[in-house]
Amino acid sequence: MAENFNRNTNVSANDLARLSQEAEAEATPSSARIVWDEFKADKPAMVALVIVVGFILFVMIASLFINTPKMMQTNIMAYFDRPGTDGMWLGADSAGRSVAKQLIVGSRNSIGIAIGLTVISSTFGICWGLISGYFNGYIDWGMQRVYDFMMMLPMTMMIIVLVTIIPHYNAITLTLIFSIFYWEGTSRLIRSRTLAESEKDYVAASKTSGTSNFKIIFREIMPNISSLIIVDTTLSFAENIGVETGLSYLGFGLPTQTPSLGTMIANANDPNNITQYWWTWLPAALEIIILCLSISYIGQVIRRAADASQRQGAGD
Amino acid sequence: MSLVEIKNLKVHYPIRSGFWNRITDEVPAVDGISFNIEAGETYGLVGESGSGKSTTGKSVVGLEKVTSGQILYNGHDITRRNNRRKLDYNHDVQMIFQDSLSSLNPRKRIEDIIAEPLRNFEHLSKQDEKLRVLQLLDIVGLDADALYKYPHQFSGGQRQRIGVARAVATNPKLIIADEPVSALDLSVQAQVLNFMKKIQRDFGISYLFISHDLGVVRHMCTNLAIMNRGRLVEIGTCDDIYNHPLHIYTKRLLAAIPRTDVSQRAAHRASRLAVEEIYREQQDKYYDDNGRAYPLVAVSPTHQVALPPDIAQQLAHQESEADV
Repeated sequence: MAENFNRNTNVSANDLARLSQEAEAEATPSSARIVWDEFKADKPAMVALVIVVGFILFVMIASLFINTPKMMQTNIMAYFDRPGTDGMWLGADSAGRSVAKQLIVGSRNSIGIAIGLTVISSTFGICWGLISGYFNGYIDWGMQRVYDFMMMLPMTMMIIVLVTIIPHYNAITLTLIFSIFYWEGTSRLIRSRTLAESEKDYVAASKTSGTSNFKIIFREIMPNISSLIIVDTTLSFAENIGVETGLSYLGFGLPTQTPSLGTMIANANDPNNITQYWWTWLPAALEIIILCLSISYIGQVIRRAADASQRQGAGD
Repeated sequence: MSLVEIKNLKVHYPIRSGFWNRITDEVPAVDGISFNIEAGETYGLVGESGSGKSTTGKSVVGLEKVTSGQILYNGHDITRRNNRRKLDYNHDVQMIFQDSLSSLNPRKRIEDIIAEPLRNFEHLSKQDEKLRVLQLLDIVGLDADALYKYPHQFSGGQRQRIGVARAVATNPKLIIADEPVSALDLSVQAQVLNFMKKIQRDFGISYLFISHDLGVVRHMCTNLAIMNRGRLVEIGTCDDIYNHPLHIYTKRLLAAIPRTDVSQRAAHRASRLAVEEIYREQQDKYYDDNGRAYPLVAVSPTHQVALPPDIAQQLAHQESEADV
């Protein structure tokens, strides 16, 4: 067998090192390199990347130095302090609690939930969509009926009911409850692309090369729909910050003693706060807008990097 | 014994309709065909678009679910998935696809693409595997610097050679070549065909060569089968088919080969029109009442044609008289 190949070519084991080196020199740049070039070519996205990474690192680290129970204590003397007075940079709310500190701890909670929710629900949704789309037939039929059933449940109401039933819930259980409902959109989107992708010849070629179905799904098809996955994941991350925030705003999110972006925006429920005490809700609102915008900028860059024909950065 | 024997192969696609989405009808893409492929030969399968050639090829390589019939490889029926797995069937039977771009995964490097069958069937060490890939690249005339590139960085001809390298990687016995050169321009076609022939000589591979281009098939094949509406209409050696065609469909296909002889243009046109005229007048004679081709009957040891026996004999007689 090997002799058969040796007989018909001049390439032998002695050339291996030299030829691999030649190939190395001509190699296409790695994907990390391509993404980085793409960021360098797009200044707003670079700024967005710095903002998002810097901000997430800042709130994660800074919140370690804040004693949350102490911070959440009512301090009547600081009632609606204006920003800058009593050493409070962003003022205080109706209970005299520092808005700046609440913002840091609240951001950590909200972003943590959003990251957890995105990771769990996207992973599950992507797997569900890929498997359903690839196998087709009865498997697809069964999985899509489960999807339809989940889709039919009124999501917000179910979450509110679950949150009310469960006696002691915290950020982790809340994330899990959200995850039950947020994989559906992703799964349908991924399924539709997988259906188209699994008809292509390279999948047939992999089958005739003896590759197993699961390897074809996750090593062949998934990389080819990665641009869709990235766009969907970044968009759903931006959206998931809103999910927790929205529910906390309604009063069904995190417990009241746990600050979050949602509970801070809920300050805007009071007309007095909107007109006179703007510092209680405006910083949190601005933060969400800036974060979500930045994330979608970053998502666009990664999508461009994943699609050779859209690249703007240097490279091949 | 032949390398591959195809016996009464049928592939029907269901048509579903109605409220319960039940199967109401079938499209007979391949409707009962039989032929044998010998070791080391190139077997041509020719026909117009939609005649079922590719479906036949895919059935032989195991990509299509067969409705009924048998495909025997070394005496094992490989239409069953279990048998294919037991035999490591795709180690011995590989495929070259028509569209060279879509048959190579755009996200994988050339090394990974060519090494894919090796990783699944041969389990070589990293060094041996890389060496084998480099040898394969050398065999199909590509440089070593192709190793870490992606498919979109190559031209159509180069990509098709990568496809061939992948098919040859495990040193198979049979390669299904599904219109391997129809997407390439003429000079590149000749290049790819010639080194496919060279590989065949060097490695003793059989090809099932699927094409609609009779010129290319003549260059490549020893035996060929003409397919029409999911049935075989004529089987024979190159000489039988090109010089003594009996079925009207074969004659029409041959008449459709473009000629470069400009001075004879009027004569060629007249002969094409004559064939078309016969087809229009005698259509019913060549197909049965349902528009299907008749079962094959032998008119010589190598030559079979799908006609009622009496007409076949009569035509064969006429043909041999015309020869003399």
